[in-house]
Amino acid sequence: MTSPNPEPPLSPTTLQCTPRRASAASDHRVQRAHYSPPWANTSIIGIAGSSGSGKTSLSHAIIRELNLPWVVIMSMDSFYRPLMPEQSAAAFSNEYDFDAPEAIDFDNLVEKLRQVKSGQKANIPLYSFEKHARLDRTTTIYSPHVMILEGIFALHDERVLDLLDLKIFAEADADLCLSRRLLRDVRERGRDIEGCVKQWFRFVKPNFHKFVEPQRHIADIIVPRGIENKVAISMVTDRIHKTLAQKSRLHQVELKRLGKVSEDDPLSANVSILHHTNQIRGINTLLSRPDLDREDFIFYFDRLTAILIEKACDIGLTFKPCRISTPVPNETYRGFALDGEVSAVVILRGGSCLETGLKRVIPDCRTGRMLIQTNFRTGEPELHFYKLALDIAEHGCVFLLDPQMSSGGAALMAVRVLLDHGVSEERIVFVVYMAGKMGLRRLMSVFPEIRVVVCRIVEDLERRWVEQRYLGC
Amino acid sequence: MSSTHLDRPSGVLQRAPSGHLGPSYKPKEEKPTATVSTEVTHSNVTILPQTPQLIALLTMIRNKATNRADFIFYSNRINRLLVEEALNHLPVLPHTITTPVDRTYNGVKFEGKICGVSIMRAGEAMEQALRECCRSVRIGKILIQRDEETSKPRLFYDKLPEDVSQRWVLLLDPMLATGGSALMAIDVLRSKGVPEEHILFLNLIASPEGAANFAQRYPKVRIVTAFVDQGLNEKNYIVPGLGDFGDRYYTL
Repeated sequence: MTSPNPEPPLSPTTLQCTPRRASAASDHRVQRAHYSPPWANTSIIGIAGSSGSGKTSLSHAIIRELNLPWVVIMSMDSFYRPLMPEQSAAAFSNEYDFDAPEAIDFDNLVEKLRQVKSGQKANIPLYSFEKHARLDRTTTIYSPHVMILEGIFALHDERVLDLLDLKIFAEADADLCLSRRLLRDVRERGRDIEGCVKQWFRFVKPNFHKFVEPQRHIADIIVPRGIENKVAISMVTDRIHKTLAQKSRLHQVELKRLGKVSEDDPLSANVSILHHTNQIRGINTLLSRPDLDREDFIFYFDRLTAILIEKACDIGLTFKPCRISTPVPNETYRGFALDGEVSAVVILRGGSCLETGLKRVIPDCRTGRMLIQTNFRTGEPELHFYKLALDIAEHGCVFLLDPQMSSGGAALMAVRVLLDHGVSEERIVFVVYMAGKMGLRRLMSVFPEIRVVVCRIVEDLERRWVEQRYLGC
Repeated sequence: MSSTHLDRPSGVLQRAPSGHLGPSYKPKEEKPTATVSTEVTHSNVTILPQTPQLIALLTMIRNKATNRADFIFYSNRINRLLVEEALNHLPVLPHTITTPVDRTYNGVKFEGKICGVSIMRAGEAMEQALRECCRSVRIGKILIQRDEETSKPRLFYDKLPEDVSQRWVLLLDPMLATGGSALMAIDVLRSKGVPEEHILFLNLIASPEGAANFAQRYPKVRIVTAFVDQGLNEKNYIVPGLGDFGDRYYTL
């Protein structure tokens, strides 16, 4: 035992340090593998045709037939240019030409299409026909595998054509088009019949011959009779199914390739494995016993999760120094205060098993959700739904929760979604109970700057059994 | 215990030093500094790892501006870390099982029975954390108060499980100042036949003096603490400390 040190705090251990920039430089050398999610290189199908030719109902018929969450429709109506005051007055007296290409903001459209095509998030403007103006809000399109672009000028602009994978022209008799348009404008857009007829002969019909009809010649498929044309619809949906299957295959190949790329790498230093104390080994033993009561399973799993989240806090949170006064007179303490908000995102459905533990550590933690399900036939992870805090990009740290990781497909997808919503890589902490090394290596080779907290390293490709035990189904 | 002993507790390396705290991947200059636990050399004292997170939790409960709800929540979080650490000092036996995916797991199984004993009233505030880790644990109580006339601690009441001598005891008291009442509680446990080495004393903030007293009187009792503070003031309050734990938890 050494003698007591009578010196007060603030001692020599605080020390000078010469700032070192080497770490910043070495960061750039981090090896990074490329991963494209299954929604990258989105297939875009353009459907053009005269006003009232049934483009919208054709698009809806195709979507209905497919019945898949990854196919969306985008209407070119969203891209009407906002009107100047005098144009707006003209529009209300049906004197404004909505059926000329000039009425469409093609630059904006091309920008959004490029974002969708590259797998990014795109904010689509909303247009009100009652007010003839763009609304303040936008709607977000993210991660469709296939998008249908419909509008009278869907095949008009060269730049749009370059982005289309399939070009369709919907054809219908002119009198049918007129009657449909009359019904729609009067019922849905609050117009009167005279105004509509005036518009038709003044703008719609001449523009059809001048701009719309020529698109017929560049279309891949011309669909007469709209939704009655079952053969044409099933041709198109077959084609989309093939495209989707192809995308899924490519994604699988991509995942396998990532596994190979990183097969021999040691686990990244950013992966923290929980120290296996006696208690943790004991709890793991209990949790792995198939004959453990569900009640006990939940109790021990929650207990372990709280430890896991404490560890994630140690790793991911940032603090700023502060000095506070204690209740003892004239005494202060030099400690830390949390710097920046911590939030969580659970990968459903398994991630919800970690929420009880999360709430024990951070009771008011804001929690986003992402439903990623593995297709049992193909083994392909699929993003079905997500809802994130709007200001998630500003949070100091985001915990991503999933009880188990095998191939790493769901984790790769979830991290990609967070990055696309503005969360920077080094602020993400992936918290997982069990993981295989292959999955971890894949994840870290693509996103080397995220942190991972894991309790147990298990064999590769272990079946997801934890959530089944915890949730009881 | 002599007053000279209190003035110069043994086994103290450095009182309340500064530390750069942060994850290992960050260079030192990016880690902020805070006052960390006094290092002591007594082999029976286990101090929780001084992580930035633990320092932030301690900052919350030390701050006199922290309201009661937050005080309760954050002290409970540290208490849970203490219980988890203390449980790791209990013996285990090897236990191999087959997992749901038909793999072998070389695990362990917990050995021996435990019970909690709280020193009233502040010690009872740590029972919640104990229950969160060990659901149906038995909890005994000991009431020790300072005698007005002699100003020495005096035992008023104890109620312990009948088979306490067969159990590992987690003794709960959040503050270890001079250690007077905690040492008396250990006398009580010993008189009921609990071996010294089967007692784990859990406490949030200790003084170097209290830790030294324990090391001298009961060197086999394991102390698990979150922080060894700078010292004691003339009224024997831990400084900088956090005030009266019981008052802040129950009545203030």
